[in-house]
Amino acid sequence: MLDLKLAKKRDVPFSLYDIDIFSASDEELKEISSKLGLNLSLQEMKDVRDYFQSKNRMPTDVEIQSIAQAWSEHCCYKSSKVFLRENIFNTPTTGVLSKGDAGVMDFDDDYAYCLRIESHNHPSAIEPYGGAATGIGGIVRDVLAMGAQPIALVDPLFFGEPDLKEVPAGTKLPKYLIKGVVGGIRDYGNRIGIPTVAGGLFFDKSYTGNCLVNVGCIGFLRKDKLLNNSVKGVGDVLILVGGKTGRDGIHGVNFASAELHERSEDESRGAVQLGDPIMKEPTIHACLEANDKGLLSGIKDLGGGGLSCVVGEIALAGGCGAVVQVDAVHLKEEGLAPWEIWVSESQERMMLAAPKENVDAILDIFKMWDVPAVVIGEVVDEQKVTLYYKNEIIYELDLDFLTKGPEYCRPCAEAEDIPKTAVKKPQIPGDLGSVLLSLLSDPNIASKDWVIRQYDHEVRGNTVIKPLQGDVSHPGPADATVIRPLPGSCRGLAIAIGVNPWFTGLDPLKGGKSSIDETFRNIVAVGGRPHALTDCLNFGNPEKPEKLYEFREALKGIGDMAKALDLAVPSGNVSFYNETTYGSVLPAPTILGVGIVEDIRKCVTTDFKEEGNPVYLVGQTKDEMGASLLWRKFGGEGGDVPDSDPQELSANSDIVLKAISEGIVKSCHDCSDGGVAVAVSEMCIGGNVGFEGTLPENLPAEVSLFSESNSRFILEIDANQESKWKELAGSRAQKIGELKGDKITFGKEISISVESARDAWSKPLWDIMG
Amino acid sequence: MGHNGVIKMDTKDIKVCVLRIEGTNCEDETNEAFRMLGASAETIHLKQLTSDVSPAMRRKLEDYHVLAFPGGFSAGDYVRAGAIFAARMKSALAGDLKKFVEAGKPVLGICNGFQILVELGLLPAMGQTMSEFPQSALYTNDSARFECRPTFLRHDNKGKCLFTSQVPFGKVLMIPSAHAEGNLKFPSDLQNKYLEKLEENDQIVFRYVNPNEDEISYPWCPNGSISQIAGICNEGGNVLGLMPHPERVMFRLQHPDWTRSKECPDGAGDGRAIFQSVLDNVKKSF
Repeated sequence: MLDLKLAKKRDVPFSLYDIDIFSASDEELKEISSKLGLNLSLQEMKDVRDYFQSKNRMPTDVEIQSIAQAWSEHCCYKSSKVFLRENIFNTPTTGVLSKGDAGVMDFDDDYAYCLRIESHNHPSAIEPYGGAATGIGGIVRDVLAMGAQPIALVDPLFFGEPDLKEVPAGTKLPKYLIKGVVGGIRDYGNRIGIPTVAGGLFFDKSYTGNCLVNVGCIGFLRKDKLLNNSVKGVGDVLILVGGKTGRDGIHGVNFASAELHERSEDESRGAVQLGDPIMKEPTIHACLEANDKGLLSGIKDLGGGGLSCVVGEIALAGGCGAVVQVDAVHLKEEGLAPWEIWVSESQERMMLAAPKENVDAILDIFKMWDVPAVVIGEVVDEQKVTLYYKNEIIYELDLDFLTKGPEYCRPCAEAEDIPKTAVKKPQIPGDLGSVLLSLLSDPNIASKDWVIRQYDHEVRGNTVIKPLQGDVSHPGPADATVIRPLPGSCRGLAIAIGVNPWFTGLDPLKGGKSSIDETFRNIVAVGGRPHALTDCLNFGNPEKPEKLYEFREALKGIGDMAKALDLAVPSGNVSFYNETTYGSVLPAPTILGVGIVEDIRKCVTTDFKEEGNPVYLVGQTKDEMGASLLWRKFGGEGGDVPDSDPQELSANSDIVLKAISEGIVKSCHDCSDGGVAVAVSEMCIGGNVGFEGTLPENLPAEVSLFSESNSRFILEIDANQESKWKELAGSRAQKIGELKGDKITFGKEISISVESARDAWSKPLWDIMG
Repeated sequence: MGHNGVIKMDTKDIKVCVLRIEGTNCEDETNEAFRMLGASAETIHLKQLTSDVSPAMRRKLEDYHVLAFPGGFSAGDYVRAGAIFAARMKSALAGDLKKFVEAGKPVLGICNGFQILVELGLLPAMGQTMSEFPQSALYTNDSARFECRPTFLRHDNKGKCLFTSQVPFGKVLMIPSAHAEGNLKFPSDLQNKYLEKLEENDQIVFRYVNPNEDEISYPWCPNGSISQIAGICNEGGNVLGLMPHPERVMFRLQHPDWTRSKECPDGAGDGRAIFQSVLDNVKKSF
């Protein structure tokens, strides 16, 4: 029974309430919103009341729940849309074929790829294993909804410091969260047979109470099989396929659109869905088979808001409405109220739209795979959704009202309102060799093989450049991985991540730009030409002006860079409210980038190859040490964050790509966290060879060694082709040393053995995680 | 069985059945491995061999020359890896399967496929074609983790196995592993006896070795398998099960360190010889 005096039970043999919002006072409207778990503001409740007053009837609980789903931040982007329109929706359209549940891009004449990344932060903070697993499930459905075969997963993760021993009430130990999240991704990703090829692990105390779990997926399809997430028109029916609907995942989107607090676990456990990869795996096959046979009009995934969002959206996208029999939905258990069925976010479900005459053929395919499939409704002309439950009309909403949602231009702080962090120089020990070793063993730099080896990164057999590179006995890190989506073809997709929360925290504009710069050069470093980006924007509470400022500035940085580099951003995701009572997270504008590799046989990896080869640095090192690992590690604060100049980035990248395509580059690594010294060390570790380097005289040693200036690459050049390289690179590159012996040396400042660098780099995560 | 050395059929006439259920997930690359070498490979659902599907979808096991069980997590591996797939197959097709093996036709199980063959009783199947109960098990790795990593396999078969006839004895191949349950074990009281018998019958096909072939240790033996065994065959040499994935290294550029190698990136990878061997043997035999 609903404990709400303004709810009137209707006289039907199932749970249905009419909610008397007409006679409600402001306080009572707020109470309704809170008791029903709607998370709607007073003004939004009043808008709902106005609508029903114009209809001259009270809303049912099904209707009001459905509106709360559709109007959640998570679903309608009400706080971000105004900024997205300014910065992202107007990015270039070069190569874009569709912007649906996932962005679809040109691959070659016959094929396309698609990409999408989103967050599953709050569920993972509450229930790390299930939250992360269902995050994978959700992103895979977005790709599937375009008619594409998922071919790769990408998971950037952000946690508190991994060796933390005590945490505030209501918070879980980072180590526990890491194990749970990695386990969830592993068990779901490995079971559905999609390789997890890239990602990242970022550690900062700001993520202790609110970890970030970003999940990305790349798909691949024939262009003539591309589906829209829409019905074709009247005559189509709606078929719900996949998992059964249950009480798990109720109010997930509302939960995602509020801050976490001490009691979140107790109150919101039911908002976390349960994953079942062995339902998902055949569902993927059956959907793709039905699409392959040309039986479908469109597909859309059931994610946030469940049926309440998908039905309206898939119908309206085709300019139509729908009539649905809610009691036709197949359930996990009896006794669900209609509103629960309608908003449940149970996993592994897809909505198919198909012409009536194809229904039998479609149901046959799903029967073959033992995947439930049920016709639940049909498409109608009028742009309205009507629901029946046991012949009773329980819901009748105009789609224009339901899906338009509010849009806010919330107050946003300006730069001058934000107090500048005073510059405090770090206390750097005199022995730069030991400084380098301490950076290599920082969990943010150290080897992530503890995670990488738990993910099957080779299933499907197409991972030609892997996430660990170099000598098989002791590989080093990767900048990007490369997938060969078509067996027998030489064309590949380079996949990489870029994000720097520390830069973004200190200077959101430059942080946004840097995330693109990093993604771009990661792709270039393996020999890929950057082609498309997608973003997962993890920020704090947008109702706080200083947090919205961070969002707006970072978004501007991303938009400006994408435009200057002529890169499409055909999909993306915003995650706000990443805050706990202990504060906001460092903002994380995570970028997933995809590049085209013309000939995978020419790809290069980060590991140094051969003694005697010269090593060059492409790009300029500047004294911009703010938020660098060196400064963070040794107590520095404030300062200038590296800026990015897209012209410089393009020019440097063109040289690298040209040199790679001509076969004169033996290895290449982008220069980022920890600067030249860390990048060179990682190349030595993977290549098991030493480096003898010099230091330029125009910069302090700690700047040339550890500055994180953007747009830079380190290249090992084939000694026999050095003159060709010099001609090509001109003044954009400078020689910084050559490969020799078994030590890493930089002038008189650093001399450490490759072995000690490897120990420092490869052990920390194992020591912590066991 | 045919006459050694005489080629009796074209590769394209070799029909390979790649068999799957829900959760099997390496069927595409397994199919492709046979197909790129010219065979006619077809991926089918177990239901097409066993139950009520339309006549057009119905298939007969006896119509194929090779049967392959790909890797994955069939039915989620929630009971014991491979157990559900094996139980469904055995209940409906035990006789057909036995006939298939007794006809000398090759059966390959990779990773989850190996686990299925063990659960079916087709491996090690000492003294019979198919044991009623599994004689061994593939337990959780000693590390208790899923391990996705390059592994080196030494070919230890003296010539019986149809899948390795083109791999010289003692040769080391890089074939990657990706599993959580690959730890081959026998009942502890019979362990030594079984090992001796396997050796005697020439049923051991691959053992994990270190890249420099010195003493073997984790992670090069990623699971703690008895006697570092990575793959075994039946007494007839026509049923092979192995944990690592040869279908993932059909080309050099699928190897993890190919950018360090002087060899042509689109040349043969170390897994190809396994598929080539069996197809060449089938051509000579049927």
